[in-house]
Amino acid sequence: MRRRDLLSAAIAGAAGLAAPAVLGQASAARVLRIVPQANLTSLDPIWTTATITRTHAYLVYDTLAGMDSSFQPRPQMAQGWTIEEDGRVYTFTLRDGLRFHNGEKVTARDVVASIKRWWARDGFGQEIAKRHAALVALDDRRLRLTLQKPFVLTLKALGKANASPCFVMPERVANTDPHTQITSAIGSGPYRFVREEWNPGSRVVYARFDGYVPRQEPTDWTAGAKLGNAERMEWHIIPDPATAGAALQSGKVDFWEIPLHDLLPVLRRNRNIEVVVRDPIGSVGMLRFNHLVAPFDNPALRRALRLAVDQENYLRAVVGDDPGMYATSHSFWSRGSPMHTEEGSEPLRVKSLDRARAALRGAGYAEQRVVQLHASDFPTLAALSQVTADLLRRLDVNLEFVAIDWGTVVQRRASREPIDRGGWNIFHTTWSGPDWFDSASTLAMRANGTEAWFGWPTSKRMEALREQWFEAPNEPEQKRIATEIQREAFRIVPHIPLGHFLSPSAHRRNVTGVIKSPIVLFYNMSKSA
Amino acid sequence: MLAYVVRRILATIPVMLVVALVVFSMLMLAPGDPAAVIAGDQATPQDVERIRQALGLDRPFFVQFADFLWRLLHLDLGTSIFTNLPVTHMIAQRIEPTLALMVLTIVLAVSVAVPLGVVAAWKAGSWIDRGVMLFAVFGFSVPVFVVGYLLAYFFALEWELLPVQGYTPLGEGFLPFLENLILPAIALGTVYIALIARITRATMLEVLAQDYIRTAKAKGLGTRPILFLHGLKNAAVPISTVVGIGIALLIGGAVVTESVFAIPGLGRLTVDAILRRDYPVIQGVVLLFSFVYVLINLLIDLLYTLFDPRIRY
Repeated sequence: MRRRDLLSAAIAGAAGLAAPAVLGQASAARVLRIVPQANLTSLDPIWTTATITRTHAYLVYDTLAGMDSSFQPRPQMAQGWTIEEDGRVYTFTLRDGLRFHNGEKVTARDVVASIKRWWARDGFGQEIAKRHAALVALDDRRLRLTLQKPFVLTLKALGKANASPCFVMPERVANTDPHTQITSAIGSGPYRFVREEWNPGSRVVYARFDGYVPRQEPTDWTAGAKLGNAERMEWHIIPDPATAGAALQSGKVDFWEIPLHDLLPVLRRNRNIEVVVRDPIGSVGMLRFNHLVAPFDNPALRRALRLAVDQENYLRAVVGDDPGMYATSHSFWSRGSPMHTEEGSEPLRVKSLDRARAALRGAGYAEQRVVQLHASDFPTLAALSQVTADLLRRLDVNLEFVAIDWGTVVQRRASREPIDRGGWNIFHTTWSGPDWFDSASTLAMRANGTEAWFGWPTSKRMEALREQWFEAPNEPEQKRIATEIQREAFRIVPHIPLGHFLSPSAHRRNVTGVIKSPIVLFYNMSKSA
Repeated sequence: MLAYVVRRILATIPVMLVVALVVFSMLMLAPGDPAAVIAGDQATPQDVERIRQALGLDRPFFVQFADFLWRLLHLDLGTSIFTNLPVTHMIAQRIEPTLALMVLTIVLAVSVAVPLGVVAAWKAGSWIDRGVMLFAVFGFSVPVFVVGYLLAYFFALEWELLPVQGYTPLGEGFLPFLENLILPAIALGTVYIALIARITRATMLEVLAQDYIRTAKAKGLGTRPILFLHGLKNAAVPISTVVGIGIALLIGGAVVTESVFAIPGLGRLTVDAILRRDYPVIQGVVLLFSFVYVLINLLIDLLYTLFDPRIRY
């Protein structure tokens, strides 16, 4: 028993209140207190791609299909499916007993409406949308998707687990315009959102949904059983890492999703705390160029800078000296992905300032100003950005280092103006591993000019290869095309990959059932008294 | 007196309008885009633009300002563009912790600083005086967050005497309420105690040198009545002015203290809203803080008449 509990019990005992204190301890064991990575601001996982909203959604909603650790789609809300007419017709049958949190039965109409809202926004979903001929509910439990031509990735898309999975909502909610935020949070997942206790920026509360019927298979990423082991789940939003660390150490919270790397040694020394690598794939860092604005509109300059990059410097700046927490990856696809390859990556292994300096001069760099956006309020991004700034200065690049908050970075990175009118040349960000798995998920590998993700690279070949990848009949062929895409990426350099790093979680030792997955999943966890 | 109060309250209206205009202009001119934050890191520029249009952020400045003013006239502070919750609801959720923290800090600061200042003036030049002044220098020099972390480290982590973070509403019991707030109040109150103690000492030194204090001593009056009845009452006007001005310090300090101790108050709400560019929330909170500040200054002005009957309005 901790000193504070002892003192409290003594005070309560003296006042004749010992019994409620014991009862309080028992009920506390049923409540799991979590410090999530960020504040939950939006409840709509289709409207925003924010990770925290997806984490919320995996508690509240369920999906037609899930994704297991071998990257295969598995039935989730679906009892099963049949594929007919050479892969053109998919018929899904829903599991019996599915209910929304308001008690209504989940029907095929709800699923159809949810898929339609999802594919209006999600890039992978749009690949199905443009190939589909019809999507209809056959009856309460069956729905049919008919495609114009076979698309082997259909189930993977429906079961995708990274940004914007296809969550199922009640039909009347799913009929909301995809560009308008929904305010409802009624799903059919293992936990119910307790709206009346939601205090944005402070606390989010979930209660176990007793009407949820989990699958019988073991939990495997977003597939298999989803168990509401904790009766109640409270998210405590603690933006200050030192305070969050202190709260975990003193037992005020049970689980901290992403502790600051600097605090890990302190947490590891505490015998009541376990530090776990929950996400075996980790995150990837990126140095993103603006392809529309000089001087990095010149591909030769982008290629030149790449020669000086040493991923290890970046990774150590982020996670410190523990080699178990990072891994270099000279690839545009994340480690763990079937598409991962290091072919064509030789220029990223050169790590020579002299060669980079010579290449910059050879490519015509003449001390033009380079504007680098630096998100000073994000420790990870700030670390990556500072390494690049140091590199650029050592390469005698005329650098303007713009230190601003992330809110300003996301605005300014949308500017396509020249740098003297508020534009930019370089910024950094990180992605979760699954966001770099393949052509379907890797938004930053689009190269369709002004339609592409911020930075707007252009490569007709890369776009054509992407189309071929979607049409590939099997995984070996996909891998071959992904390798070709990577070769093209090393030629045009849409960005520079900065390697993988792990972001462990920390929890009290009495917490069990933590799901190891690249997707943050809080169901299944429980806590003993 | 009543006419003066009414006049002062009416005068807050143009003040609030100016505040509204300044806040709105600053937000519009400041960099940052809530649509980009909302959309998330994996949204395309097209997604961001659609969200901007849906939120009406693409409308001209004056159209948005007129809309804001119109709603304000109807006492409608708008809706958070992130949570879709009414700003008044979000403020109502957060006002109790901040109010409780500020009241506790003021009570703590005044009850510690005023006696310290009085004693320091009474024992001017002694080790007590030097000790109080040393504390004042410490209070002014050490940032609130450093004091906060030190208190949390020792009282919560090392000695396990008090909780490290969070807030328990007063309705759930006075002891848990106090347990959660005492460390933040000390952290926030340190600079405030330093300020009030210094002003009290300086003013008391001046008052204690007056002829009427010498006369009181000559008449054989005890130290306590001299210090607190004759001395402190005459020093009360500048002290209460500093207490009032210090409210602004408290508001600024509450933002930091609430972050360090994870108190779900208005300070945290403000920081979160600024980082996300949640314009309606920022506007609502700043307007509220401005109104409170104007109101407290009015109360301080009215308090003068209690301390000094020569002052009339």
